[in-house]
Amino acid sequence: MILNIGRLYLQTLLRAFEWPWRWREISQFIVQIGLGSLPIIALSTAFAGMVMTTEIAWHMDEALHTITMIPGFTGQFILREIGIVIPALLLVAKVGASTTAEIGTMKVTEQIDALRLLKIDPISYLVFPRFIASIISIACLTFVAIGVTLACAIGVAMLKYGFSFLEYINALRPFIGVKDLFGAVLKGLVFGALIPIVSCAYGFECKGGAEGVGNATTNSVVTATILVIVFDFILTAFLTWV
Amino acid sequence: MITAILEEMGSTTLFFGRVMKTAFHTQGNLQPILKQIIGVTLRSLSTVIFAGLFVGAILALQFNQMLVQYDAQIFLGGLNTSAVVREVGPLIISFLLAGKIGAFTAAELGTMRVTEQIEAIECLGTNSIQYLIVPRLLAIMISSLLLLIIGLMVSVGGALLVAVLYAGMNPVQYLSSIPRFTGVWTISCGLLKSVIYGTIVATVACQKGFNASGGARGVGRAVTTAAVYTNLYIVLANFMTSQILDSIHQFGEFIARVLS
Amino acid sequence: MTIRFDHVTKSFGPKTILNDVSFEVAEGEILFVLGKSGMGKSVTLKHIVGVMKPSTGKVYIGSTDVTQLDDEGLARIRRKCGMVFQQPALLDSLTIYENVSFGLRTPGYVRSLERPLTEMEIREKVIAKLRLVHLGTEILDRKPPEISYGMQKRVSLARTLAPSPEILLFDEPTTGLDPISTRAVNQLILELSRQLKVTSVVVSHDMACALEIADRILVLDQARILALNTVPEIKRSKIPLIQEFLEETLQDPGTGGAR
Repeated sequence: MILNIGRLYLQTLLRAFEWPWRWREISQFIVQIGLGSLPIIALSTAFAGMVMTTEIAWHMDEALHTITMIPGFTGQFILREIGIVIPALLLVAKVGASTTAEIGTMKVTEQIDALRLLKIDPISYLVFPRFIASIISIACLTFVAIGVTLACAIGVAMLKYGFSFLEYINALRPFIGVKDLFGAVLKGLVFGALIPIVSCAYGFECKGGAEGVGNATTNSVVTATILVIVFDFILTAFLTWV
Repeated sequence: MITAILEEMGSTTLFFGRVMKTAFHTQGNLQPILKQIIGVTLRSLSTVIFAGLFVGAILALQFNQMLVQYDAQIFLGGLNTSAVVREVGPLIISFLLAGKIGAFTAAELGTMRVTEQIEAIECLGTNSIQYLIVPRLLAIMISSLLLLIIGLMVSVGGALLVAVLYAGMNPVQYLSSIPRFTGVWTISCGLLKSVIYGTIVATVACQKGFNASGGARGVGRAVTTAAVYTNLYIVLANFMTSQILDSIHQFGEFIARVLS
Repeated sequence: MTIRFDHVTKSFGPKTILNDVSFEVAEGEILFVLGKSGMGKSVTLKHIVGVMKPSTGKVYIGSTDVTQLDDEGLARIRRKCGMVFQQPALLDSLTIYENVSFGLRTPGYVRSLERPLTEMEIREKVIAKLRLVHLGTEILDRKPPEISYGMQKRVSLARTLAPSPEILLFDEPTTGLDPISTRAVNQLILELSRQLKVTSVVVSHDMACALEIADRILVLDQARILALNTVPEIKRSKIPLIQEFLEETLQDPGTGGAR
């Protein structure tokens, strides 16, 4: 299956040279993926941000008997890890699973064969627009997620641990730099490029009615989750090394 | 959107209640539950171990980077283990279980629903909730707990690898700092969260699969919504348990201070 | 056992599927329900076993009002009803033997016989029912996906027959079957009805089958009963939709149970 995913990746990248790009489909998918996932991403990252502050405060209190380091630790942790990987895993479920289910249904109801008969290339029609749309939307969503997570973390720090907004920002500033922003963009782009290809590959492999669609969707979610975790590790290692 | 989510939560809770009522009002048979537990656990074991290693490793990288700034690398073992066990480990591993077990179950039950297998069971005079849902729900709850515990233990190993190979720490030094943070309280927090997340994975998957409708498209939709709602509920439950546990902890400290 | 629909109306949101439908099926009778797709045929069947509840109106089996039953009462009624689904609906994780014997292991499965059956008795019954649908014992240990679709449908029929139901409900019993199996299934419905006084309701769009074995035919259109009459009367009917159905059988004598 990893081979299939890799092959589909290359095939999709080749479609970038086929001008013009299908901007109508791409913008449709940006609306569907980006705006469609926005509420759920915002809601869940908001809660994740609030938890982060409480948890980090507990650890700081336990380790150093002081909570003055909350802004630095929380900020770094959100910007480098939690603000990115939690939305990515949610998007695997939201975008990845529904893409596999949709393409899988098209496959088992022979709609993809019908496309081929109409001389429409399924990859440039179904995969490539999703690929571009997903890279754009997920990179943007990552920023929204980081913003929401950070805002909620600040909110909890202010209400529960008595920081003022300015104190927090001033304490945070020395700890984050351009490199962290670069890292966030990089991770967002990688996850954005990963999710649609994995889910489309499983969709195309789907066979055998309702059962096939169910299995393909399950496998797609699992593989994408694992790949997100593995790539997160690789990118984190890369970014700490740089 | 908020009302839609609340409605969903309500119907999921009702479904859980209905299944529990069936489970306690009919004499159960332990054998199918045990069979399910073994099946579910074995099927997901390798994935969970793999993910657990990486989750521990990722956090060790992050914490190492932060602690080096403060020259506080000696805390790495403790902080990292505690953060993984209390918070990040259960969260990310149960996201994985939402796919591996949750989506799988939703797909299985959804397929049975749309191919009329569930109706056939009903029409043969068997209670489909008792026959299909009770063993699955209980088994997934227990297996998820087992898998989360295994995943958390493995993650300590993953973190240790990074600490030794990447950060160049002495393994003994790393391990000896663990008990300083990871006490009974931390472990019970992790366990409680694991129990709650396991219940969420099991209930949502069974509910979405059992209520699927409309052919292949319907199964796909059941799997997708099961995965999405499981993850969403886990994030919400994570917030609530963390806040409640934090309050209990503070209350406990307050009592201890008053007594001394 | 008789079945009676008493002014049943069923709506899904703004869409009405059954509108004030009343009819009665006598014991041992074979009633065919004909109509175009999406005209509430399957919905009618699902009302009889209580899988669906009517928006208004009542459904009686014998003297019991199905719409008022709780889960346990429904389970008791369902043991007397055999439902054959459009799809084979066999449990994929069980073998053919386990599938056919499924209904026999439920407590209180057969009328007037409340003690659990021994494994020997179950095996005998399973083999007898499989023979009824012209299947041998060699498939007993196989799983449903390993046998052909036509065989799956016949196994499904055997499973329904195993607990000796008093009412049989068929949802498109012969779709996807070859002409020979179709004739066998039709013959079986006829025998069960004549010899064991089993009441049958068959949902179908196959007029040829209906003309061959039905006692009466009910035609549904626009959520209402368009006609309910015996076969000779239906043949003489001047209603356009029925004319259409009848012409179909003349043009295509190969399908269904036509000789």
